[in-house]
Amino acid sequence: MTAPQLQAAKPAGTAGPAPSPLVRARDVLASEWTKLSSLRSNRWTLGAAAAVTLVLTAVVAASFAAAPHSGQRAAPVDRLATSFLAFAEYLVLPVTVLSVLVFTSEYASGLIRTTFTAVPQRRTVLAAKAAVTGAAALVIGEVLAFACFFLTQAILSGRHGGLSLAHPGAVRGVLAAGFVLAACALVGVGAGAVLRHTAGAIAAAVTVVYLLAVLCLVLPAPWNLRLGRFTLPFAAYAEVTAHPPAGLFSPWLSLLVLIAWPAAALLAAAVVLTRRDV
Amino acid sequence: MRPGSGAAIAVVAVALAFVVYCLVDLSRARVRNLPKWAWAPIICLTIPWGGILYLILGKDRTTPAVPDPAPPPDVTAGALGVHSSPAAPHIPRRIPAGPVQIDVDGLTKRFGPVTAVDDLSFAVRPGRVTGFLGPNGAGKSTTLRVILGLDAPTSGTALVGGRRYQEFIRPLHEVGSLLDATAVPAGRAAWSHLRAIAQSNGIGQRRVREVLELTGLETVASRRIGEFSLGMKQRLGIAAALLANPPVLLLDEPANGLDPEGIRWFRQLLQAMAAEGRTILVSSHLMSEMAQTADHLIIIGRGRLLADVATEQFVSGTSHDVLVQSPSAGELASLLTASGAVVAPENGGGLAVTGMNAAAVGDLAVSHGIAVHQLVTRHGSLEEAYLALTGASTDYRAGSPLPEVQTARAAR
Repeated sequence: MTAPQLQAAKPAGTAGPAPSPLVRARDVLASEWTKLSSLRSNRWTLGAAAAVTLVLTAVVAASFAAAPHSGQRAAPVDRLATSFLAFAEYLVLPVTVLSVLVFTSEYASGLIRTTFTAVPQRRTVLAAKAAVTGAAALVIGEVLAFACFFLTQAILSGRHGGLSLAHPGAVRGVLAAGFVLAACALVGVGAGAVLRHTAGAIAAAVTVVYLLAVLCLVLPAPWNLRLGRFTLPFAAYAEVTAHPPAGLFSPWLSLLVLIAWPAAALLAAAVVLTRRDV
Repeated sequence: MRPGSGAAIAVVAVALAFVVYCLVDLSRARVRNLPKWAWAPIICLTIPWGGILYLILGKDRTTPAVPDPAPPPDVTAGALGVHSSPAAPHIPRRIPAGPVQIDVDGLTKRFGPVTAVDDLSFAVRPGRVTGFLGPNGAGKSTTLRVILGLDAPTSGTALVGGRRYQEFIRPLHEVGSLLDATAVPAGRAAWSHLRAIAQSNGIGQRRVREVLELTGLETVASRRIGEFSLGMKQRLGIAAALLANPPVLLLDEPANGLDPEGIRWFRQLLQAMAAEGRTILVSSHLMSEMAQTADHLIIIGRGRLLADVATEQFVSGTSHDVLVQSPSAGELASLLTASGAVVAPENGGGLAVTGMNAAAVGDLAVSHGIAVHQLVTRHGSLEEAYLALTGASTDYRAGSPLPEVQTARAAR
């Protein structure tokens, strides 16, 4: 009389044919999307970061709008780059940290073993996590970049005249700002996969995303820009400024820099993940 | 409509509103000034939204399941011990045509100078529950991790059905496993956790609901796993292992934290699944539980194989003796010794006799007119047999607790 229900079941065939690579990719992507979207803390953190970013963007724009228009001011207000001051400060950091947690939280709880048991092809897992996190960061980044741009231009329009998207470089700057967020998120994913521990991975990601540029700023004159232009913040600035200082890379070269950092992080992760015991 | 799709639609609506606003802004201004290439990225930007929408709202592909036979009668729920579920669901079983065997051959795993598993070879055969025993640090978990492709062996192989685990494309359909029930995301709801695992192997929502009902967790499916007790986490881990209805189960300490009813339910589940021809390997420290559940035992110590025997044979092969109590114990003892038996006095009074069975002891007593108050044949337990076998190979042995207690008191 033990569990007749189980015994009554008829044995059937095996799991069926192996899925095509496309179906397989969709499965793993859907799984990672469920993981990312089902954490309440992620939604709250992102919502708060977005709200703070928008409020501070308005504050920054208002303070520029209130500044004296003519006279001693050497450089005119960079109406494009101003839009993304708060964006760079208050959105990039939380998104980078959440991206680091994509891997390190699984290592901390041990869930990573379940993940790699369900999908033994570890590079597929890395690719899916990177794709889902990067896509989410790109969408959030673009939406908030456009929001920050329009908000700033609406506030500036009173005294300086707000820019329209048709202004030369405006579309490029806004699109690039959103892309920067995705690039930082991917650096975070790669750092988390390589270092496994949350604290260390956050330190590494923040070093790449912020601190290297700060270090370059204190170098003597020609070298600060010569080295600095290879860092993420300088490349991002080259994309969004209407008045690039001499010595920075062109926007297209800067885009390469913005792609190279996350690519390097993910490459390191791909190499390390397959060679290490979980 | 699926939960969460409302929020997704709202997000996409806001995003689309932005795109429209951008286009309006552009059309108001001098559109001709806009570089032509700028249109391409604007269009490209909409693609990720489409992809994410597809992921969220995409049609669920439930695994091709066996057509349901008649629903099971209600009594089965009670027999399964699935409490708080009035009618246990019917679980369609998919067992491969051929039996699946796990073969561990010459497996060695070193972590730096430490050899966790040392030239270990055994086979786990289908159709029975195999217990995997060993002291702490004996290498059980390492062996399971190597079988599951998580750790790379230093040498040797561990094959499931003749294949390395890493070769499986949807491995949950081949092997269900539970390594550590506490390795779960505290912030995620049980439902989302199982759903994410299921999606990675193309398993549909219906099946997630089924395993939640099978393990009695359907009422707490939407609660955060952080609020779960250890027993509930064990049930969740078992649910995850059963998701794809696999022909092989690898379970590490699955009975930890289960209540007695849960243990009974779990034992019956394992035995029923073994009877269907599945291959089941369970590690455990609960000896009495293992004695009741496992048909076969694999015992290791310090990474080496100590025993690979049927449970019955292992237990009965251990020493057994006869306990006899008599008012004239001294006389009986000398008679027994004269007949070739070995006699030792017992603590609680009476004699422990080895080398002679109970019937012979009774006959001897009667023939000499000696009264016998108790006559019992005592078998060694699995626990004793296990301790006798592994005594020499224990890595971490507790010291005598008494001196520590005394020093602790002295310190106070």
